[in-house]
Amino acid sequence: MTEFIQVVIAGLLQGSVYALVALGFSLVYRVTGVINLSQGAFCVVAALVMYWLEHALGWALLPAGLAAVIATAAFAAVLGALTFVPAFGRLPNSGILMLTIGLLTLIEGVLLIGWGSQPYALPPFSGETPFEVAGLRIPSQGVWIVGAALLVVLALWYLLIRTALGLALRACAENVVAARLMGIGVGRVTLFAFVLAAAIAAVGGVVLAPITSLQFDAGRLFTISGFIAVAIGGLTSMTGAVAGGLLLGIIGQLGAVYVSSLFSDALSLLVLLAVLVFRPNGLFASDRGRADVREAARVVQGTSRLGGRAGWALGAVAAAILLALPLAVPQGGRFSSIVITGIVFIAVLGLDVLMGFAGQVSLGQAGFMAIGGYTAAVLATTYAVPPLLATLSGVVLAVLCALVLSVVTTRLRGLYLALGTLAFGLLVDSLAVGLVDVTGGPSGLVGIPSFAVGGFDFATPLSNYYLVAGLIVVLVVLLAGLMRGGFGRALQAIRTDALAAEALGINVVRYKVAAVAISAALAALSGSLYAFYFHFLSPEMVGTSRSLEMVAMLVVGGEATLVGPLIGVALLTLLPTLFQPLAIYKTFATGLLLVVFFLYMPEGIFGAAVAAVQRIGRLFAPPRLASPAGGVAE
Amino acid sequence: MSGRAPAAPADAGGPPALRIAHLDKRFGGVQATSDVSFEVASGSLTALIGPNGAGKTTLFNLITNLFPPSGGEIVYFGRPLAGLRPSEIAALGLVRTFQTARVFPRMTVLENVLVGAHRHVRAPAALQALWWPSALREDRTLTRRADALLALAGLATYRDIAATALPMGAQKMVEVIRALMAGPRLLLLDEPAAGLNDRETADLAVLLRAIGDNGTTIMVVEHNMALVMGVADHVVVLDAGRVIATGTPAEVQADPRVIEAYLGQEAAA
Repeated sequence: MTEFIQVVIAGLLQGSVYALVALGFSLVYRVTGVINLSQGAFCVVAALVMYWLEHALGWALLPAGLAAVIATAAFAAVLGALTFVPAFGRLPNSGILMLTIGLLTLIEGVLLIGWGSQPYALPPFSGETPFEVAGLRIPSQGVWIVGAALLVVLALWYLLIRTALGLALRACAENVVAARLMGIGVGRVTLFAFVLAAAIAAVGGVVLAPITSLQFDAGRLFTISGFIAVAIGGLTSMTGAVAGGLLLGIIGQLGAVYVSSLFSDALSLLVLLAVLVFRPNGLFASDRGRADVREAARVVQGTSRLGGRAGWALGAVAAAILLALPLAVPQGGRFSSIVITGIVFIAVLGLDVLMGFAGQVSLGQAGFMAIGGYTAAVLATTYAVPPLLATLSGVVLAVLCALVLSVVTTRLRGLYLALGTLAFGLLVDSLAVGLVDVTGGPSGLVGIPSFAVGGFDFATPLSNYYLVAGLIVVLVVLLAGLMRGGFGRALQAIRTDALAAEALGINVVRYKVAAVAISAALAALSGSLYAFYFHFLSPEMVGTSRSLEMVAMLVVGGEATLVGPLIGVALLTLLPTLFQPLAIYKTFATGLLLVVFFLYMPEGIFGAAVAAVQRIGRLFAPPRLASPAGGVAE
Repeated sequence: MSGRAPAAPADAGGPPALRIAHLDKRFGGVQATSDVSFEVASGSLTALIGPNGAGKTTLFNLITNLFPPSGGEIVYFGRPLAGLRPSEIAALGLVRTFQTARVFPRMTVLENVLVGAHRHVRAPAALQALWWPSALREDRTLTRRADALLALAGLATYRDIAATALPMGAQKMVEVIRALMAGPRLLLLDEPAAGLNDRETADLAVLLRAIGDNGTTIMVVEHNMALVMGVADHVVVLDAGRVIATGTPAEVQADPRVIEAYLGQEAAA
């Protein structure tokens, strides 16, 4: 019994920090209708700044912690004013969500450049000796953590209920348009919520640093845990955020002690999926959440596609380049990255169908890569199944998993869909780590054979190149046919207005499921090819970072354009290998690229190029846009 | 302005296009419609009028089952609609438009109209993916029909631009064309003239008559009285969730209850 209580106490300590991050989520969500996924990174910013003040400048712990929180808030203010606030009125909520993924990556990049990749730990604020109460040992830092959490909750409560600023925050949460009409500077209030949330996260980071060592990319763990906590509790409920955080902390610790530390994540994720299925608004939410009146006005408006002849011409040029490329690039590391570009592009093609055409946000695409990759690799390696058959088995299994997942995801929209798919990806991730006997665990699966068809082994990079290039050509042609026809039109109709689509006879659920299945199949194919090409597969190659990276590739290239994302994949895969000595800047550059694209070129490189070509074409064609009813409407 | 050729009685002996019996809908404590009963004769153009909040759009939402009725029955050409998904109802040829134009963003005008043809796409997805000749042929046929309809509505020049770039009036027209593309047996139009200028409204009246003469049954919610009285051959008046009058435009206009509920209210305003 004592041990049990001890574990629960540890869970409460961990949970207090989750609760703080979750509070920040809830605060920003209530004011803006968006989850700021960069939230967790501010924990790490504060902790590392505090470490620097303490170690390099020799400050005492408490002033260093205080200064770190202030510095983090200032950093957040600059970041928010330059990115988060301008995004409103420009991007749809799903776009802003993706923007905050970019911010998360950007902050991680900054930390990597400043502090390197090693973990840091601080000494406890008031000594190492734990308190002993009735035979229970409570780490002294625990008092600081719980105290800080209580203080933040009380201060936040006072601010929201008793001050004019709190009133403005709550007004924006209720109705942004009305708040603006009442003279509230919505931009400033949004920024304030963003900074306040970051400061709360910073407090969490500072008090947690002594009992957990943190490195540059620990932020996403806080983001994910805080996100799960707030989803369990209910996005609109502050009480829910705190309760969800504590619950998550306890589940995590109990799972780690009584089940297995390898599966403790899986346990929390199952709880989350159960909540999403049975109480999608969370356990504590009182209402249905915010109504998003602004959503419709902020969809990307253009239609970026090439007409028949231009499309075929571009296709022919691209095919010729594909065929000739191996002649131009010497065999070696760089050529190998080109092959990897192609393999990843296959998965991104699937993501384009799902996200670009059908408008279903997915943050767990790499989960299907993992299912396909591990199934194929294990079958081929352990059971000597021919690679082709092993790959097909992986694809079939991934599609089956996709169908099961659809039961959850087809009921979810927007943010909840993003959350559900993220949870799925993390679940697969933690299974890949946990099932050591099957997958080889964290260190990966080795000795995977080459891909082979009949008697032919695809053993060299060159043969793999032509295999992948051939597959890509076939897949692009098939998908182009599908997307130009009735199937693709139905998907695009669902993307923005499922109700109107349904009223025209489109079975929305069936088309969503079809899109999920196609994307899962392509991701699984990509995952198997990846494993066969590397002769090795580890969870981190097909983990959540990969999922987020693929979303970035899709957006940078251009959603709903099929070939556009190839540009994004190539950029994010090849650039780091071209500038090896600058590898430390890769994370930063990826984040910066994402943020800039979401803000200034949401239609992607390919989309922008097509728009430019169309604009030039219009210069030479008679004007067609002279509207009969007085100009072109907004 | 004269009505259409002598008001078609419930002719042809077949079942009415729509028979609504004792329809009730409560939202919590609010009674949105109560005991609504009327028929829409096959081949007729029926107008549904009534002051704001009378429950007209609610009625459309009940007919297309966007939410289920609390009680009563909706029968479409002799077939009860209870329990069908909205998409299944549309697949039976009962197609509606929405009060605010809902064109699909990031799709061209032509593509928007082609979405309407969804229930006529026969080529399975696999054949579409393979660029199979029969699938391409079908697509060309549908495109020709869409082009013809766009030309009819005077929108042919805009076929390849983003539908959201059009003025609101033209967007509403695209939505009507899109619904027509579905080849409906019964077309429900929710305030098609709202936001249209006089010329566009006149164009719409011409279009509605052409659709009706083609044999399509139409039911239209409309506030524009000139349009209603000009094109409808049957009028149902709704007030506070109840049917207060039915009849020809002339009969309804003379009905004192209608004047009190509808025109009287306008005069008082």
